[in-house]
Amino acid sequence: MSSESKEGEANKDPRDVVDDSCKGPFLFLAFSAIIWLLVYSIFSMLSGVKVHSYGMMVDTAWLSYGRIQPASQLALQYGFLVQLGLAISAWILSHRGKTVLVDGGYLYFGGLIWNVGVTLGFVGILSGGISGLEGLQMPVHVIPILLTGYVLVGVSLVQTNNRRTDEQMSPAQWFLFTATLWLPWILGSAYLLIYYFKAKGVMANIVDWWFMQNFSKVYLTFIALGVCSHFFSLSNSYRLIGRGYALFAFWILLLFGSIGGVSLAAPVPAWLPALSTVTSVFYFIGIVSIWYVLYHMQNGASAEDNISLMRLGLIVFGVVSILNFLFAFPMMGKSAEFTTFGPSIELLFNLGFVGLVLLASFYYIFPHMVKFGLSPKITKIQNIIFILGFMIASLPSALGGLMSGDAVLGSGFYFSSVGDLFLVFASLLLFLNFLYAIIMSIKTCDCLSQLFSKEQAKEVEA
Amino acid sequence: MTIGLSFIMGLVAASVSYFMLSLWWPVAIILGIAVWLAFGLFGLKMDSAFTLLSGAILVFCISLSVMIMRSSDQLSGLQYADTVDETGTEFRYPVPLLGNAPSGERVYRSHGCAACHTQHVTHEGVEFDIKALASEKNHSAVKEAVNRFYQVTGNPASGGIALGLPVGEWETVALGVSVSDAAKARGFLSSAGASVDVQVRFNGEDLEKDNFSNPDGRGWGKRRSVARDYLFVERPMLGSVRIGPDLSNVGTRLNRSTLMRLLLDPKSIRRNSKMPQHRFLFDVVKESNEKGIITIRNKDEQVFYKPTKEAEALVDYLLSLKSANYPLEEAPVYQPFTSSLPKPEEAKKEMEEKTGDEGSDTK
Ligand code: HEC
Repeated sequence: MSSESKEGEANKDPRDVVDDSCKGPFLFLAFSAIIWLLVYSIFSMLSGVKVHSYGMMVDTAWLSYGRIQPASQLALQYGFLVQLGLAISAWILSHRGKTVLVDGGYLYFGGLIWNVGVTLGFVGILSGGISGLEGLQMPVHVIPILLTGYVLVGVSLVQTNNRRTDEQMSPAQWFLFTATLWLPWILGSAYLLIYYFKAKGVMANIVDWWFMQNFSKVYLTFIALGVCSHFFSLSNSYRLIGRGYALFAFWILLLFGSIGGVSLAAPVPAWLPALSTVTSVFYFIGIVSIWYVLYHMQNGASAEDNISLMRLGLIVFGVVSILNFLFAFPMMGKSAEFTTFGPSIELLFNLGFVGLVLLASFYYIFPHMVKFGLSPKITKIQNIIFILGFMIASLPSALGGLMSGDAVLGSGFYFSSVGDLFLVFASLLLFLNFLYAIIMSIKTCDCLSQLFSKEQAKEVEA
Repeated sequence: MTIGLSFIMGLVAASVSYFMLSLWWPVAIILGIAVWLAFGLFGLKMDSAFTLLSGAILVFCISLSVMIMRSSDQLSGLQYADTVDETGTEFRYPVPLLGNAPSGERVYRSHGCAACHTQHVTHEGVEFDIKALASEKNHSAVKEAVNRFYQVTGNPASGGIALGLPVGEWETVALGVSVSDAAKARGFLSSAGASVDVQVRFNGEDLEKDNFSNPDGRGWGKRRSVARDYLFVERPMLGSVRIGPDLSNVGTRLNRSTLMRLLLDPKSIRRNSKMPQHRFLFDVVKESNEKGIITIRNKDEQVFYKPTKEAEALVDYLLSLKSANYPLEEAPVYQPFTSSLPKPEEAKKEMEEKTGDEGSDTK
């Protein structure tokens, strides 16, 4: 999408300066995120194929389903979503604050460490270092590496936000700022509680569920909501409809998103699942109000392709939220327990909402960064394949899970492999598209070579 | 912010501090009003960086204390409990893993078996059946109590009771009633002077099959799993998706050679098995003269597989999984009517005292 933003042309200079300051770190984080998306889609497809084809690749331990599946989840969540989220948060926070990105070197360095962490985690899981806790499958020693990387990036983001020109923060800034703080807090506490204080028995699972709840209901949701509200308000010239509602939604989502996540029949004190049901009801109130705000905001937004993608993401978000709300009640929840419904809906949330919104904003930002934009035609194709991919990968297996129950693999599982195949194509196209644009940009101008010399200078500083 | 919205904020603050932080109610109300006033009248900025940061820290602390600290307080006191095994021998439960099993647990963890298998049995509900015994003396009183029970709960009378309660014979008063109804029945009947006998049944797909009360049971356990089952497990692998069966008590269901075969070639056990092969846990050997060698016929040729140390340990671990089998105070197992069994009088009395609430258990 090579369409230039209208405001970008109106007052070109300051924005270009901001763009220049973000360029290197943004491209670095986004590029590695897209590589991880590719890795995710390949391994996710492999894991599906492993279930269908009996006797395939059975002689190697590191290709067993039990390892590929958690490894692919790690690549999706920590490699792709978090990393692209960081790249886009950096850009939005500096644009909103009308300031250059502070200490961009930290972003490179932190991003590098983060990637080392994700890689070690990925390899660690494949070689058998699985922790056995669902949201935190990476081996123990990887978490401090991830934390260090994140904190370095976070330092730069928080400082950038502190240097903003306007005192008042907009919703995009609340959401992104809080999300930036939230991940190291929950990751650090989960690490300490599980490995340092050695949470005993099911306590470890409770901490794990708490972490997963915070990771998706607070961290990922906030990143995506922040990005949405930034881009929807762009053409409204920063005017916000219903600031009060947005504030209300923000605090409700934060408070009730951070509590809960314990499944109905979990072998824990009975008040924990009950509390989780209660908080998910309140959380839903927050969802309704933020949906209302964003709905009004997008009415005024332009009809560009990437804004439309975000609209689609918002619809997916609405659907997932309603499902989560309904299935939080024991009556409905019982029928979905232990089936493929849960993971499928999580996938729909991760790719269809967070992933789609992040990719859409990536398409928007990318042309500001390099001279040679992504090919619009390929982008369109890859978006269609991506959307088809996550729909086919998640919806049939969600439905199949509900219909066939647990310990039975419904035919939905076969569909999900087709969806995975689509996702592989989409991410491969995206990767090639990105690579081509970068190579062409280096060839046609020397903007990137400047950047690389700057980068080296910065790394020496850092 | 408008007065209306800030009122909702106040309401939220009050209910959070009352229900979740368990503060004294006047304190909660004052807190709520303070929040309302602060945001509604004094226009405290909710979106300054300071409020954002301090609010986020506050919420984080609330979240930690509500979910983690409270459950940790509750669970840290968990200890051994006495229970009985199938043969009636008492022992202390849970038993830590012994011998090869701990390294088998590591194998289980490292191959990600938890991606497809849970170790976590659930139940759907408890049902109670009640029998009563009336003597000459209290016959009419008991009949009245039975009628009262039917009126209160809306259950129709049936069987021998409907025909007129026979004297000196155990007669079923209610079948499949809830905890609270069972408690009522017990109250009415025993105050009328009748002897009461209660049968506790659990239903749920996961539990033992029973033609009458649990026809769909899959036999993955005799009771649901509770926190005590995982007392000695570091990072229990509860799992959240069941692509295969639950393994909480697989040790009571399958034997060593079946398990070995299941790991090597599941389709040789069940034709449509979706369980993947774990051939990397086996070494191919030339001949089958040792114990424990598994032969797989591959069209014309035979291949002999010898389990590695890993496979042996893993199977040791699987055989040690028997958790959802033994009755615990918080999770009793199916308990039949004692009146039909020849039991000493004291035991029956003791049981009558104990039954009536869900958390009861008799040895
Ligand atoms: C791809 C998912 C998957 C993985 C990974 C997996 N299993 Fe299974 N497992 C299954 C399925 C499906 C069944 C049911 C097979 C059948 O019907 O025979 C099963 C059945 C079993 C059974 C028999 C249970 C019973 O009650 O019949 C055992 C024991 C078992 N698996 C152990 C393991 C172990 C140990 C591992 C790890 C090394 C493992 N499984 C990994 C899917 C899986």
